[in-house]
Amino acid sequence: MATALAAPGASAALDPADDLRRGHTWRLRWRTGWDRGMNYLLPLLFAVAIIPIGDLLYFIGSKAVPTLSVGVLTSGATYLSYDALAVPIVSTFEFLALATAIAVALGLFGGIATAEFLSEGAASWVRMSANLLAGLPSVIVGYFGWFAFVLYFGWGEVMLAGVLTLAFFMTPYVFRTADLAFSSIPRPIREAAYGTGARPVQYILRVGTPIAFPQILTGVFLAMAIGLGETAPILLTVQPGVVVPPNVFSPATYLTYLIYTGYQSPKGSLALTLAFQAAFLVVVAVIVLNIVVRIIAARYRKRLEGLYQ
Amino acid sequence: MTATPAPAVSPLPDGASVVEVRDLCVDADEKKILDHVRLDFATRTLTAVIGASGCGKTTFVRTLNRMVELTPGLSVSGEVRYLGQNIYDPSINPVLVRRRIGMVFQRPTVFPMSIFENAAFGLRLLHEPDDEIDRAVQEALIRSGLWDEVKSELDRSAFSLSGGQQQRLCIARALAVRPRVLLLDEPTSALDPMATQRVEATMRRLKEEIVLILVTHNVGQAARVSDRVAFLHQGRLIETGPTAEILERPREPLTQQFVTGHFA
Repeated sequence: MATALAAPGASAALDPADDLRRGHTWRLRWRTGWDRGMNYLLPLLFAVAIIPIGDLLYFIGSKAVPTLSVGVLTSGATYLSYDALAVPIVSTFEFLALATAIAVALGLFGGIATAEFLSEGAASWVRMSANLLAGLPSVIVGYFGWFAFVLYFGWGEVMLAGVLTLAFFMTPYVFRTADLAFSSIPRPIREAAYGTGARPVQYILRVGTPIAFPQILTGVFLAMAIGLGETAPILLTVQPGVVVPPNVFSPATYLTYLIYTGYQSPKGSLALTLAFQAAFLVVVAVIVLNIVVRIIAARYRKRLEGLYQ
Repeated sequence: MTATPAPAVSPLPDGASVVEVRDLCVDADEKKILDHVRLDFATRTLTAVIGASGCGKTTFVRTLNRMVELTPGLSVSGEVRYLGQNIYDPSINPVLVRRRIGMVFQRPTVFPMSIFENAAFGLRLLHEPDDEIDRAVQEALIRSGLWDEVKSELDRSAFSLSGGQQQRLCIARALAVRPRVLLLDEPTSALDPMATQRVEATMRRLKEEIVLILVTHNVGQAARVSDRVAFLHQGRLIETGPTAEILERPREPLTQQFVTGHFA
């Protein structure tokens, strides 16, 4: 009698080879089957996500790519005649560079200060405000910019008003990642730096920043991608210009502005072609930003392996 | 910020008090974490602070270089005197306190840099010249007992080291700025027995040069490395004295229970 192997409560003699089969109830079969089914469902869900993106890329690309050429991208000292993209590309680049610089300065400073220096209570208020700001519809931020810069400061609808409004919209994204990155540095690492006699600024620059860098960079690129795709803050605060703005108090144009104004134009019209070209460029730029940030972050993450053991 | 050179530690007479703790209390919201602790730490002496988890020993050691201030919600009263100067005096900058009284933590806390840069960290904060840093890093690594293992690979990432080596690197990082006092907060609790042995050997060597204050819940470790033992229970200092006396003939029943492992 193999009583030694019998499960508790089993009265009858039991074949030991049967031990692993007992308890294989329909309920367990069903559970296991459900798990397995879900595993097969995952690729399907992936397809559900990827197909619209692929379709969108194909749709925009098929309209835009045949009309694009190096000439279209680089020519056109003015684009009064709506035949070249050089002006909006350069203007957009300038817009984004200035707005990113402002957003990074404000967001980094605020995020690090919130994570490192503010009390719990104050920090939670600041975080809530930033989340609120990030959640505002861009058209409301646009109105704010219009009221503040265009009307109250009396600058008129100039590039600087758009840059500041855009920066205002991008700042919370940089802020949130900087705050999160610094808050999630392991406490012992932080204490070890202070315990070796680091001043707060030395800790932030020498220990905190190298560790937080990949995350912060991700936030900056995300903010850039969001800024690049924004329309309302620019639409409401800047008069479209036909040349590359000579200074920040000039009218200027933005790629998404072309999309917004061109999409209702009749089929075959230049404005519609331009809208598709601009849309294609924006989408490609956003994808490139995302890929670049992944490559850089992966490279840095390798250096940080072992930190969170 | 002017660069303060790491002080060449002028020797103090044997047995001179370096750190004196007087009436030290630490309060959290409702709870008293430390209750009127009075304790002295002298040169050439390794003092082990022992006690059960939650007795306040980690908080105690963190008051000795004002690390306790990094934990919000704790208030400290009483005095900790370093060479006669109360480190909680408003005129004293905690940054300077931590440069004289170094600290090593429970788990190795190497930074994501090379082995060399980890050891040089404290000196870089002081903007020391490069040749001085080279010299001091080598000296610190020799003192921590790591030099022979890493001298040919100083540029490798510190994460490539084993846990025990990382902990000795942390000791070297603390030693490089030439502190007079080194606080060790359960430095071997994350290490295997072999690595523990090496860290203990390092401690025994170092106590000839600087004041070591070791926090441990391991009575065996206290017996192996310390000269004096202080037993903390629920924030109060129950008993202190030479290691052999405290571990073998404790006066207090609580100490007796703890060192014999019959702790309720």
